Amino acid sequence: MNRLELSGYRLAICLGPGGVGKTTLSATLAIGAAVSGRAVDMMTVDPAPRLLDALGLDGDAAEPREVKLDSVPRASDAVRHGRLRALRLDPKATFDAIVRRHAATPAVAEAILAGRIYRNLASAFAGVADYMAMEKLLELAAEPTTDLVVLDTPPTAEALDFLNAPRRLIELLGSRAVGLLGARRGTRMVDMAARAILAAFDRVTGLKLLADVQAFVGGFDGMYEGFAERATRASAMLRENATAVIVVTTAEAGRIVQAREFIAALGDAELRVRAVIVNRVMPELPDAAEIERARIPIALKRKLRRNLEDYRALKTRELISFDTLRAAMPADAALMVAPELEHEPRSLADLAQIGARIHRA
Amino acid sequence: MALARLLFVTGKGGTGKSTVAAALADALSHKRPTVLADLDPRMSAAAILLGAPPPGGPATRISPTLEVVGLTARAELEAFMRRIVPVAAISRRMLKSRTFGYVTAALPGLEAFLLLERLRIMAGNAALEDRQVVVDAPASGSALELLAVAHGVTGIAPAGSLNRIAHSVESFVRDPARFGVILTVTPEELAIREARELTTALREHLGVATVAAIMNRTPAALFTKAELDAIAALRAHHNLAVRREHERAAAHRARREFTRAGVPMIELATMYRPAMGRAEIAELGGALAAGLPS
Repeated sequence: MNRLELSGYRLAICLGPGGVGKTTLSATLAIGAAVSGRAVDMMTVDPAPRLLDALGLDGDAAEPREVKLDSVPRASDAVRHGRLRALRLDPKATFDAIVRRHAATPAVAEAILAGRIYRNLASAFAGVADYMAMEKLLELAAEPTTDLVVLDTPPTAEALDFLNAPRRLIELLGSRAVGLLGARRGTRMVDMAARAILAAFDRVTGLKLLADVQAFVGGFDGMYEGFAERATRASAMLRENATAVIVVTTAEAGRIVQAREFIAALGDAELRVRAVIVNRVMPELPDAAEIERARIPIALKRKLRRNLEDYRALKTRELISFDTLRAAMPADAALMVAPELEHEPRSLADLAQIGARIHRA
Repeated sequence: MALARLLFVTGKGGTGKSTVAAALADALSHKRPTVLADLDPRMSAAAILLGAPPPGGPATRISPTLEVVGLTARAELEAFMRRIVPVAAISRRMLKSRTFGYVTAALPGLEAFLLLERLRIMAGNAALEDRQVVVDAPASGSALELLAVAHGVTGIAPAGSLNRIAHSVESFVRDPARFGVILTVTPEELAIREARELTTALREHLGVATVAAIMNRTPAALFTKAELDAIAALRAHHNLAVRREHERAAAHRARREFTRAGVPMIELATMYRPAMGRAEIAELGGALAAGLPS
């Protein structure tokens, strides 16, 4: 099989360093599955404006929206188009919804939402965005009419920042610190040391955190079990056989170093990498003999030779990158190539075209 | 006008930030002692390009006048605690407390803010000893957040030592003698647009000056329009030639746009070499040094 086949999978996660085209390839894979007849949901995290246009999404598409596939040809073996829905993750809105759903009373919910710690936690703490992606993922995966969920991930320096989000949350919620601040059900004892430390910090920094922390933690009273249960489920789902973890990179030397670190980290976390896709690979170079045969001025031939030589050097650089990457490939993962388009992808048809060109290295 | 004491190199992912930061630090180190501060020391791409092994410790010396320093948010937090809590036993205790860890994680960019404070101190010391600082910064989106963080801190800490530091950090990034952004970009529509938006956002929202946009990987012009027409029949060769001239033209258009926006643009030629090494970095550095004020 030459193509990247997602037919056996229910979930595909694209991970990789920043700026390699993760969102583009996620969309490409989602479209590919949809035109082979499957019902696909795709969640993007930080899409470029042009990609949003291509998918027909606007700024606040926080719930799945139908993407019209009319402009994309059906896969040869498909009887009909499946469906494609896309949404853009809004971590803050997702978190707010969870708080509203699970808080003891609407008044408690509003108190949590208005607190300084919460407002900052939800917008500034990167781990929260990761966890919210997981929350939304569980919601999408639970939809019985959906065959496949494709997930684009936030740009992180480390692969595991994202994949460990559920685990980190379990750890935070189960930690002594939270209990000792007096919030967790059953433990009302306040750790005097923790309070003393926060009070000292407040004094020197002028932040007045202690009261806020207590209000925040107190507000979540009774919600922890639900959080922990979902985090455990998300963590298990990532490791299921029907989940395809896909690492995306470009052939640039710096990205290859990062991609190798991603692959190693994923392996350590016992997440099975199904494929590594090298994006924006240069096309095969033309034959030099054609230049010699052509009936054109000598000077022009010389220029064509020079141009070919220049690009050969860049192609060699790419090949070195592939060798480096090959040495780091997990045993049963496929190394795939996504050739670059002549222009940046602007439409669904462009994205589908990238998909059609993806092949094994 | 003299070059800002600290040059903060950022740009969209994949536009060659580390390459440009390494080349820039290398070139400037021929004039005065230079420190290259790497905000992603684990990857330390810039140090590798300069021929150093990935730094095991906090600093790697490349030459007598060039040093690479890795900065981490955690180390800055620890240093800050030591400064504001002079009793070592108490500050150690604070750092160990998990509660404190969660609180700092929940605070908007406290660690990022402290990283900026470190850069301010580095620039101050560099001015005293006539050294230059080059920063291999995060990609543009995160960089903007990083630079905006001081303002956020003045909002949440209306008084106290954090507030005082926040004010000095804010005036640091607004002072063109001390702080300047170098923006990397490649001749592609998307990267150019993002770079233009970033210069506007930096100037209008943060009062931060962009010293120059560096158009990385600009191909040297080779074919005229007539020549491209003459080789139309050689499809694949024609495509390859068109590709080159397209990039060339995109760089040309970008120069006009940046110039109109008051940002000088420096072109770096594409290095048609099978690998990027010390010699390539030195070559790019030469081109950069020629284009920047000294």
